[in-house]
Amino acid sequence: MSRGAQAGGAGPHLAPSRWRWLASPITGAVCRLLVGGSFIYADFPKLLKPYEFARLIYGYRILHHDMINLASITLPWVELVPGAFLVIGIMVRSAALLLAGLLAAFVGAAALVMMRGLTISCGCFFPLFTDRVGWAMILRNLVLMLLALQVIIWPSTFLPKRWRRL
Amino acid sequence: MPGSRTRRLSSRSDAGQSSLLGVLLGALALLIGSAALGLAVNRLSPRGIPLLPKAQKGEQEASLPLPPGTKPMTREQAYVAFVAKSALFLDGRTAEEYAEGHIAAALSLPAEDFESRFPEIVDQMEAAPALITYCRSIECSEGVEIADRLREMLPNPIYVYERGWEAWQEAGYPATKGEEP
Repeated sequence: MSRGAQAGGAGPHLAPSRWRWLASPITGAVCRLLVGGSFIYADFPKLLKPYEFARLIYGYRILHHDMINLASITLPWVELVPGAFLVIGIMVRSAALLLAGLLAAFVGAAALVMMRGLTISCGCFFPLFTDRVGWAMILRNLVLMLLALQVIIWPSTFLPKRWRRL
Repeated sequence: MPGSRTRRLSSRSDAGQSSLLGVLLGALALLIGSAALGLAVNRLSPRGIPLLPKAQKGEQEASLPLPPGTKPMTREQAYVAFVAKSALFLDGRTAEEYAEGHIAAALSLPAEDFESRFPEIVDQMEAAPALITYCRSIECSEGVEIADRLREMLPNPIYVYERGWEAWQEAGYPATKGEEP
Protein backbone atom coordinates (compact mmCIF):
# COMPACT_ATOMS: atom_id res chain seq x y z
CA MET A 1 0.00 0.00 0.00
CA SER A 2 1.37 3.42 -0.94
CA ARG A 3 1.67 6.22 1.58
CA GLY A 4 -1.04 8.16 -0.28
CA ALA A 5 -3.43 5.28 0.07
CA GLN A 6 -2.54 4.92 3.74
CA ALA A 7 -3.11 8.61 4.36
CA GLY A 8 -6.22 9.44 2.43
CA GLY A 9 -7.47 6.58 0.30
CA ALA A 10 -7.93 7.01 -3.44
CA GLY A 11 -6.29 10.40 -3.95
CA PRO A 12 -2.84 11.32 -5.24
CA HIS A 13 0.25 10.79 -3.09
CA LEU A 14 1.63 13.89 -1.34
CA ALA A 15 5.43 13.62 -1.05
CA PRO A 16 6.41 16.36 1.48
CA SER A 17 5.32 15.26 4.93
CA ARG A 18 4.22 18.76 5.93
CA TRP A 19 1.38 18.60 3.36
CA ARG A 20 0.34 15.04 4.16
CA TRP A 21 -2.33 16.23 6.62
CA LEU A 22 -4.28 17.48 3.60
CA ALA A 23 -4.88 13.89 2.52
CA SER A 24 -5.58 12.49 5.97
CA PRO A 25 -8.96 10.86 6.69
CA ILE A 26 -9.48 13.27 9.59
CA THR A 27 -9.12 16.29 7.28
CA GLY A 28 -11.46 14.56 4.85
CA ALA A 29 -14.06 13.93 7.54
CA VAL A 30 -13.86 17.55 8.73
CA CYS A 31 -14.28 18.82 5.15
CA ARG A 32 -17.22 16.50 4.55
CA LEU A 33 -18.94 17.61 7.74
CA LEU A 34 -18.33 21.30 7.10
CA VAL A 35 -19.53 21.30 3.48
CA GLY A 36 -22.41 18.85 3.99
CA GLY A 37 -23.39 20.40 7.32
CA SER A 38 -23.45 23.93 5.87
CA PHE A 39 -25.81 22.90 3.11
CA ILE A 40 -28.10 20.97 5.47
CA TYR A 41 -28.14 23.82 8.00
CA ALA A 42 -28.94 26.39 5.31
CA ASP A 43 -31.60 24.26 3.75
CA PHE A 44 -34.45 23.77 6.20
CA PRO A 45 -36.00 27.26 5.96
CA LYS A 46 -35.97 26.92 2.16
CA LEU A 47 -37.73 23.56 2.39
CA LEU A 48 -40.34 24.81 4.83
CA LYS A 49 -41.08 28.13 3.11
CA PRO A 50 -40.70 27.76 -0.66
CA TYR A 51 -42.79 30.89 -1.28
CA GLU A 52 -40.29 33.02 0.67
CA PHE A 53 -37.36 31.31 -1.06
CA ALA A 54 -38.98 32.02 -4.46
CA ARG A 55 -38.87 35.75 -3.69
CA LEU A 56 -35.17 35.53 -2.86
CA ILE A 57 -34.50 33.79 -6.18
CA TYR A 58 -36.57 36.44 -7.96
CA GLY A 59 -34.37 39.13 -6.39
CA TYR A 60 -31.30 37.83 -8.25
CA ARG A 61 -33.05 38.61 -11.58
CA ILE A 62 -31.20 35.78 -13.31
CA LEU A 63 -33.81 33.10 -13.87
CA HIS A 64 -36.79 33.57 -16.15
CA HIS A 65 -39.99 34.22 -14.18
CA ASP A 66 -41.46 30.87 -15.30
CA MET A 67 -38.45 29.00 -13.85
CA ILE A 68 -38.62 30.50 -10.35
CA ASN A 69 -41.20 28.09 -8.91
CA LEU A 70 -39.34 25.08 -10.30
CA ALA A 71 -36.06 26.34 -8.85
CA SER A 72 -37.57 27.03 -5.44
CA ILE A 73 -39.04 23.50 -5.36
CA THR A 74 -35.97 21.57 -6.53
CA LEU A 75 -32.94 23.59 -5.41
CA PRO A 76 -33.35 22.95 -1.65
CA TRP A 77 -33.42 19.17 -2.34
CA VAL A 78 -30.46 19.37 -4.72
CA GLU A 79 -28.58 20.92 -1.79
CA LEU A 80 -29.99 18.73 0.98
CA VAL A 81 -29.51 15.24 -0.51
CA PRO A 82 -25.83 15.62 -1.53
CA GLY A 83 -25.22 17.43 1.78
CA ALA A 84 -26.63 14.46 3.68
CA PHE A 85 -24.64 12.03 1.49
CA LEU A 86 -21.44 13.91 2.33
CA VAL A 87 -22.13 13.84 6.06
CA ILE A 88 -23.05 10.15 6.04
CA GLY A 89 -20.24 9.26 3.64
CA ILE A 90 -22.13 7.87 0.64
CA MET A 91 -20.92 8.72 -2.90
CA VAL A 92 -18.77 11.43 -1.36
CA ARG A 93 -16.88 12.45 -4.52
CA SER A 94 -20.05 12.80 -6.60
CA ALA A 95 -21.83 14.67 -3.81
CA ALA A 96 -18.84 16.99 -3.33
CA LEU A 97 -18.61 17.58 -7.10
CA LEU A 98 -22.30 18.49 -7.30
CA LEU A 99 -22.07 20.85 -4.33
CA ALA A 100 -18.87 22.42 -5.70
CA GLY A 101 -20.75 23.01 -8.97
CA LEU A 102 -23.60 24.66 -7.06
CA LEU A 103 -21.15 26.83 -5.13
CA ALA A 104 -19.50 27.90 -8.40
CA ALA A 105 -22.94 28.81 -9.77
CA PHE A 106 -23.70 30.82 -6.60
CA VAL A 107 -20.40 32.70 -6.94
CA GLY A 108 -21.24 33.48 -10.58
CA ALA A 109 -24.72 34.66 -9.61
CA ALA A 110 -23.32 36.87 -6.83
CA ALA A 111 -20.76 38.39 -9.20
CA LEU A 112 -23.53 39.16 -11.71
CA VAL A 113 -25.67 40.78 -8.99
CA MET A 114 -22.73 42.90 -7.82
CA MET A 115 -21.88 43.96 -11.39
CA ARG A 116 -25.47 45.11 -11.85
CA GLY A 117 -25.29 47.10 -8.63
CA LEU A 118 -28.24 45.31 -7.00
CA THR A 119 -28.48 45.19 -3.20
CA ILE A 120 -30.29 42.01 -2.26
CA SER A 121 -30.31 39.42 0.49
CA CYS A 122 -28.23 36.40 -0.51
CA GLY A 123 -30.69 33.94 1.01
CA CYS A 124 -27.82 31.68 1.96
CA PHE A 125 -28.77 31.05 5.56
CA PHE A 126 -32.09 32.91 5.67
CA PRO A 127 -33.89 33.72 7.94
CA LEU A 128 -31.15 33.20 10.54
CA PHE A 129 -28.73 35.58 8.86
CA THR A 130 -29.94 38.17 6.40
CA ASP A 131 -26.57 38.90 4.84
CA ARG A 132 -26.41 40.72 1.55
CA VAL A 133 -24.88 39.47 -1.66
CA GLY A 134 -21.28 40.67 -1.57
CA TRP A 135 -17.63 39.76 -1.14
CA ALA A 136 -18.25 37.97 2.17
CA MET A 137 -20.67 35.57 0.48
CA ILE A 138 -18.27 34.99 -2.43
CA LEU A 139 -15.37 34.33 -0.06
CA ARG A 140 -17.41 31.89 2.04
CA ASN A 141 -18.48 29.99 -1.07
CA LEU A 142 -14.89 29.83 -2.36
CA VAL A 143 -13.71 28.40 0.97
CA LEU A 144 -16.49 25.79 0.85
CA MET A 145 -15.45 24.98 -2.74
CA LEU A 146 -11.88 24.33 -1.58
CA LEU A 147 -13.17 22.00 1.14
CA ALA A 148 -15.30 20.19 -1.45
CA LEU A 149 -12.22 19.89 -3.67
CA GLN A 150 -10.38 18.15 -0.84
CA VAL A 151 -13.17 15.58 -0.66
CA ILE A 152 -13.07 15.03 -4.44
CA ILE A 153 -9.30 14.49 -4.49
CA TRP A 154 -8.88 12.51 -1.27
CA PRO A 155 -12.27 10.93 -0.57
CA SER A 156 -12.62 9.41 2.85
CA THR A 157 -15.56 7.50 4.23
CA PHE A 158 -16.13 4.93 6.90
CA LEU A 159 -18.24 2.93 4.48
CA PRO A 160 -16.84 0.09 2.30
CA LYS A 161 -14.19 1.03 -0.29
CA ARG A 162 -16.41 0.63 -3.36
CA TRP A 163 -18.47 3.64 -2.18
CA ARG A 164 -15.27 5.70 -2.10
CA ARG A 165 -14.84 5.64 -5.86
CA LEU A 166 -18.04 7.61 -6.60
CA MET B 1 9.38 -5.22 -20.17
CA PRO B 2 8.44 -2.07 -22.16
CA GLY B 3 5.28 -3.68 -23.59
CA SER B 4 3.88 -4.74 -20.28
CA ARG B 5 4.78 -1.35 -18.73
CA THR B 6 2.86 0.47 -21.50
CA ARG B 7 -0.13 -1.83 -20.94
CA ARG B 8 0.05 -1.19 -17.19
CA LEU B 9 0.15 2.61 -17.68
CA SER B 10 -2.68 2.42 -20.20
CA SER B 11 -4.87 0.36 -17.90
CA ARG B 12 -4.11 2.74 -14.98
CA SER B 13 -5.15 5.70 -17.18
CA ASP B 14 -8.34 3.89 -18.23
CA ALA B 15 -9.12 3.20 -14.57
CA GLY B 16 -8.62 6.89 -13.78
CA GLN B 17 -10.90 7.94 -16.63
CA SER B 18 -13.60 5.43 -15.69
CA SER B 19 -13.37 6.59 -12.08
CA LEU B 20 -13.78 10.22 -13.17
CA LEU B 21 -16.67 9.23 -15.42
CA GLY B 22 -18.23 7.36 -12.51
CA VAL B 23 -17.96 10.45 -10.30
CA LEU B 24 -19.51 12.63 -13.00
CA LEU B 25 -22.33 10.16 -13.62
CA GLY B 26 -22.85 9.85 -9.88
CA ALA B 27 -23.14 13.64 -9.57
CA LEU B 28 -25.62 13.71 -12.45
CA ALA B 29 -27.66 10.91 -10.88
CA LEU B 30 -27.67 12.78 -7.56
CA LEU B 31 -28.80 15.97 -9.30
CA ILE B 32 -31.66 14.28 -11.14
CA GLY B 33 -32.67 12.11 -8.17
CA SER B 34 -32.70 15.04 -5.72
CA ALA B 35 -34.71 17.23 -8.08
CA ALA B 36 -37.20 14.40 -8.68
CA LEU B 37 -37.51 13.90 -4.93
CA GLY B 38 -38.19 17.62 -4.50
CA LEU B 39 -40.91 17.52 -7.16
CA ALA B 40 -42.50 14.44 -5.57
CA VAL B 41 -42.51 15.94 -2.06
CA ASN B 42 -43.91 19.21 -3.39
CA ARG B 43 -46.67 17.29 -5.18
CA LEU B 44 -47.67 15.45 -1.99
CA SER B 45 -47.21 18.33 0.45
CA PRO B 46 -50.22 20.45 1.50
CA ARG B 47 -47.83 23.42 1.38
CA GLY B 48 -46.71 22.57 -2.16
CA ILE B 49 -46.54 25.29 -4.80
CA PRO B 50 -47.47 25.17 -8.51
CA LEU B 51 -44.72 24.38 -11.02
CA LEU B 52 -45.48 27.47 -13.06
CA PRO B 53 -46.39 30.91 -11.67
CA LYS B 54 -50.07 31.79 -11.92
CA ALA B 55 -50.94 34.57 -14.36
CA GLN B 56 -52.55 37.65 -12.82
CA LYS B 57 -55.09 39.75 -14.67
CA GLY B 58 -53.73 43.20 -15.40
CA GLU B 59 -50.15 42.35 -14.36
CA GLN B 60 -47.22 41.91 -16.73
CA GLU B 61 -45.65 39.20 -14.62
CA ALA B 62 -47.33 36.20 -13.03
CA SER B 63 -47.69 35.93 -9.26
CA LEU B 64 -44.96 34.26 -7.24
CA PRO B 65 -46.06 31.32 -5.04
CA LEU B 66 -48.06 32.14 -1.92
CA PRO B 67 -48.85 30.19 1.25
CA PRO B 68 -51.99 28.03 1.03
CA GLY B 69 -55.14 29.91 2.02
CA THR B 70 -53.89 33.30 0.83
CA LYS B 71 -54.52 34.99 -2.52
CA PRO B 72 -52.51 37.43 -4.62
CA MET B 73 -53.77 40.95 -5.24
CA THR B 74 -52.71 43.34 -7.99
CA ARG B 75 -52.04 47.03 -7.38
CA GLU B 76 -55.31 48.02 -9.03
CA GLN B 77 -57.31 45.49 -7.02
CA ALA B 78 -55.63 46.75 -3.86
CA TYR B 79 -56.53 50.32 -4.79
CA VAL B 80 -60.18 49.37 -5.38
CA ALA B 81 -60.24 47.71 -1.94
CA PHE B 82 -58.61 50.81 -0.45
CA VAL B 83 -61.22 53.17 -1.95
CA ALA B 84 -64.13 50.90 -0.98
CA LYS B 85 -62.62 50.41 2.51
CA SER B 86 -63.33 46.71 2.09
CA ALA B 87 -60.06 45.54 3.64
CA LEU B 88 -57.47 46.45 6.26
CA PHE B 89 -53.92 46.95 4.97
CA LEU B 90 -51.08 45.51 7.05
CA ASP B 91 -47.48 46.61 6.52
CA GLY B 92 -44.98 43.81 7.23
CA ARG B 93 -41.84 45.97 6.99
CA THR B 94 -39.91 47.25 9.99
CA ALA B 95 -41.38 50.03 12.17
CA GLU B 96 -38.71 52.42 10.81
CA GLU B 97 -39.61 51.70 7.18
CA TYR B 98 -43.30 52.10 8.06
CA ALA B 99 -42.63 55.49 9.65
CA GLU B 100 -40.77 56.65 6.53
CA GLY B 101 -43.90 56.11 4.46
CA HIS B 102 -46.78 53.66 4.12
CA ILE B 103 -50.16 53.11 2.47
CA ALA B 104 -52.68 55.46 4.07
CA ALA B 105 -54.62 53.79 6.92
CA ALA B 106 -52.36 50.72 6.86
CA LEU B 107 -51.42 49.29 10.25
CA SER B 108 -47.84 48.36 11.07
CA LEU B 109 -47.29 44.65 11.70
CA PRO B 110 -43.54 44.06 11.33
CA ALA B 111 -42.72 40.42 10.59
CA GLU B 112 -39.79 40.65 12.99
CA ASP B 113 -42.02 41.85 15.90
CA PHE B 114 -45.11 39.81 15.03
CA GLU B 115 -45.64 38.28 18.50
CA SER B 116 -45.50 41.56 20.37
CA ARG B 117 -47.46 43.62 17.84
CA PHE B 118 -50.24 41.11 17.04
CA PRO B 119 -52.18 41.45 20.38
CA GLU B 120 -52.19 45.24 20.07
CA ILE B 121 -54.09 45.24 16.76
CA VAL B 122 -55.96 41.93 16.83
CA ASP B 123 -59.34 43.60 17.50
CA GLN B 124 -59.02 45.84 14.46
CA MET B 125 -57.99 42.88 12.31
CA GLU B 126 -60.89 40.73 13.51
CA ALA B 127 -63.35 43.52 12.67
CA ALA B 128 -62.04 43.92 9.10
CA PRO B 129 -63.88 42.17 6.23
CA ALA B 130 -60.53 41.17 4.72
CA LEU B 131 -56.81 41.66 5.32
CA ILE B 132 -54.24 42.77 2.72
CA THR B 133 -50.58 42.34 3.61
CA TYR B 134 -47.67 43.97 1.81
CA CYS B 135 -44.00 44.87 2.13
CA ARG B 136 -41.51 46.82 -0.01
CA SER B 137 -41.84 45.03 -3.37
CA ILE B 138 -42.29 41.59 -4.89
CA GLU B 139 -38.74 40.66 -3.81
CA CYS B 140 -39.42 41.01 -0.08
CA SER B 141 -41.01 38.22 1.93
CA GLU B 142 -42.38 39.99 5.02
CA GLY B 143 -45.83 40.46 3.45
CA VAL B 144 -46.02 36.74 2.67
CA GLU B 145 -44.62 35.82 6.09
CA ILE B 146 -47.23 37.75 8.07
CA ALA B 147 -50.00 36.50 5.74
CA ASP B 148 -48.92 32.93 6.45
CA ARG B 149 -49.02 33.51 10.20
CA LEU B 150 -52.30 35.44 10.16
CA ARG B 151 -54.18 32.74 8.25
CA GLU B 152 -53.45 30.34 11.10
CA MET B 153 -54.81 32.78 13.70
CA LEU B 154 -57.70 34.64 12.05
CA PRO B 155 -60.69 33.55 9.92
CA ASN B 156 -60.61 36.66 7.66
CA PRO B 157 -59.85 36.30 3.94
CA ILE B 158 -56.17 37.18 3.49
CA TYR B 159 -54.64 38.71 0.38
CA VAL B 160 -51.03 39.54 -0.43
CA TYR B 161 -50.48 42.72 -2.39
CA GLU B 162 -47.23 41.55 -3.97
CA ARG B 163 -45.98 44.70 -5.74
CA GLY B 164 -45.91 46.42 -2.38
CA TRP B 165 -45.09 49.90 -1.20
CA GLU B 166 -42.79 50.87 -4.08
CA ALA B 167 -45.45 50.22 -6.75
CA TRP B 168 -48.07 52.03 -4.62
CA GLN B 169 -45.78 55.05 -4.42
CA GLU B 170 -45.06 54.94 -8.18
CA ALA B 171 -48.80 55.09 -8.89
CA GLY B 172 -49.18 58.09 -6.61
CA TYR B 173 -51.88 56.41 -4.54
CA PRO B 174 -52.74 57.77 -1.06
CA ALA B 175 -49.85 57.41 1.37
CA THR B 176 -48.76 58.89 4.64
CA LYS B 177 -45.70 59.11 6.93
CA GLY B 178 -45.15 58.62 10.64
CA GLU B 179 -45.75 55.96 13.25
CA GLU B 180 -49.55 56.28 13.13
CA PRO B 181 -51.82 54.99 10.32
